[in-house]
Amino acid sequence: MSRSIILLGGPDSGKTNYIGRLWRALDGGTGALHAAEQPEDIKFVLEVTDHLFEGGFAPRSEHSDARRDFEVVVAATKDGPRSRVVVPDISGELWRNAVINSEIDPDWMNELRRADAALLFVRVDSDQDVRPLDWVTSRNMLERLGGDEDQGLPTQVMLCELIRFLEISLSGRDDGKIPRLSVVVTAWDRVDAGKFEQGPVVFLEREYPLVAGRLADLERLDVQVFGLSVVGGDLKHDPDYRLAFLDAGLDGQGWVAVRDGDGWRKDPDVTLPIAWAVGL
Amino acid sequence: MSGSCSFDGCTVDETGLCALSRDPSICGNRATDEAAGATSADAPAYEGVALQSGDSLGAPVLDQPVRASAFPSSRTLGLADLNAMMGARYVNVVGILGDPESGKTACLASLYLLVSHAMLAGWSFADSRSLAAFEEIARGARDWNDGKTPEQMTVHTELADDHGPGFLHLRLLRLSDGRRVDLALPDVPGEWTQALVNTARSDRLDFMKSAEAIWIVLDGRTLADIEKRQGLIARVGQLAGRLNTMLDGRAPRLMVVVTHRDLHILGDNVTSRLQTELVRRGAKAEIVGIAPFSDLPDNVPAGFGIAELIDLTVGKPAERPTFWPSTEPTAGDRAYLNYRGDR
Repeated sequence: MSRSIILLGGPDSGKTNYIGRLWRALDGGTGALHAAEQPEDIKFVLEVTDHLFEGGFAPRSEHSDARRDFEVVVAATKDGPRSRVVVPDISGELWRNAVINSEIDPDWMNELRRADAALLFVRVDSDQDVRPLDWVTSRNMLERLGGDEDQGLPTQVMLCELIRFLEISLSGRDDGKIPRLSVVVTAWDRVDAGKFEQGPVVFLEREYPLVAGRLADLERLDVQVFGLSVVGGDLKHDPDYRLAFLDAGLDGQGWVAVRDGDGWRKDPDVTLPIAWAVGL
Repeated sequence: MSGSCSFDGCTVDETGLCALSRDPSICGNRATDEAAGATSADAPAYEGVALQSGDSLGAPVLDQPVRASAFPSSRTLGLADLNAMMGARYVNVVGILGDPESGKTACLASLYLLVSHAMLAGWSFADSRSLAAFEEIARGARDWNDGKTPEQMTVHTELADDHGPGFLHLRLLRLSDGRRVDLALPDVPGEWTQALVNTARSDRLDFMKSAEAIWIVLDGRTLADIEKRQGLIARVGQLAGRLNTMLDGRAPRLMVVVTHRDLHILGDNVTSRLQTELVRRGAKAEIVGIAPFSDLPDNVPAGFGIAELIDLTVGKPAERPTFWPSTEPTAGDRAYLNYRGDR
């Protein structure tokens, strides 16, 4: 009954904040999944939720080398089947380095092999986003003209490689089915109504065509795409929303965009991406 | 006597081996003198270090190297990888020939850029087993080692930072009919083409025998140069002849890819002379003008012609006969007696 779920994504993709928000939802017990018992070590999630309670986001966990796992036993129904979910919070920098060097610490490799589901995070409008090379930059590089600063690995290439890693390393599910991958597009409250209606899949097709193509071509992973807003609005740049958020409290804020027929709707249950991945 | 041993004629310093077949790390002569020599010779320069290390005497000298588990790399595929992949699914191998500097690499880089911006008309990206290699190519980071032409295809066990020739894999989805096409595009040095034309050296290009299409990449600037184009056309004819020999006359679809379409539009007389030269060798080729990069992006966008090249390479969707043709019954027709008689 113990399985681990891996959260991956580049730097600043919203992994840590989601864990914090997820814990509140699991603890509250209003969603598709709830915490069956109080976990032993909740220091890490308490720290993250503290930031959210104060109306801010948790700082980026790039520079924390120490491994921070959040371990919780979840159940879908009261007294129903339980599953121990280990959600390691790994800095996005670690994943970026894994892609660049194409190797990873053996601990993490074992963690990947033990997992049968993963959540892949992509954030809308992240300042860490690296656009793909264009013809002008590429030509200058090919001709060694210089002058252009190397941006590093484009985000979509990194995501494709992470998906490839998951394809190689995730283990099959207990029920014999292929491993599951929830792709979570975070900060989904930042897109306008039109883009919301089109949904996160169309967003990926437009912003990261390689990733969208890859997801549509996967044979070894079962994929579902979600849009996610951890707190339902912009705490940083929207003071009015922040005030309203602080007034109302964290619970009940935030939502997940899920496919509903042809369109997309907001569902207040933020456990959905992980509930689908666990598949209880 | 060597620097670190008291024994006369010790060879450990020069060769790393002890002439007396002793283990240098436990040899009595050596160990005592090493410590003495180190302190006497290096003491002034490393005083602080020596003091510090005195405390941690017996501790490991070097840090334990960090162990890491490797994922299969996504650099170019070697012949063995390609074979394995071809065993699992149908792969379109494309042979890419052309002199050095003719624009083969630019062609591959531009194809990758088109795909990564979702701008390849009629196609979209589905998968690639060699994304890292494509990134390297687009960054111009895949120069052959110090300008030395590699002698053979990448072997999988080679060092990861050695840029050997190999295949780039790209799976594309054709939007018109949803067909997925796996392309294996070789990234090989132009010198191999020259060697094939000049001295018939074809062993390294053996993979061309399983190629579905061959691109012969020509520099559009040379073809536009009235002094140089004769020579280039003659070489193309010779190359076609070599291909005939190498492939035993079973030549796959041939495409002459002329680069620098942004600056030079291929003249009709050049086209017909190219065709004449090829026909003389019994070859038939489509001529495609492309512009991987563009100096006049308003007239000819960068990546011009590459979608057409891919279309031609993959070929048209095969027309399938209608599986169950419907026939309209005609009134008064003796359908039962004529059953299947009209087919």
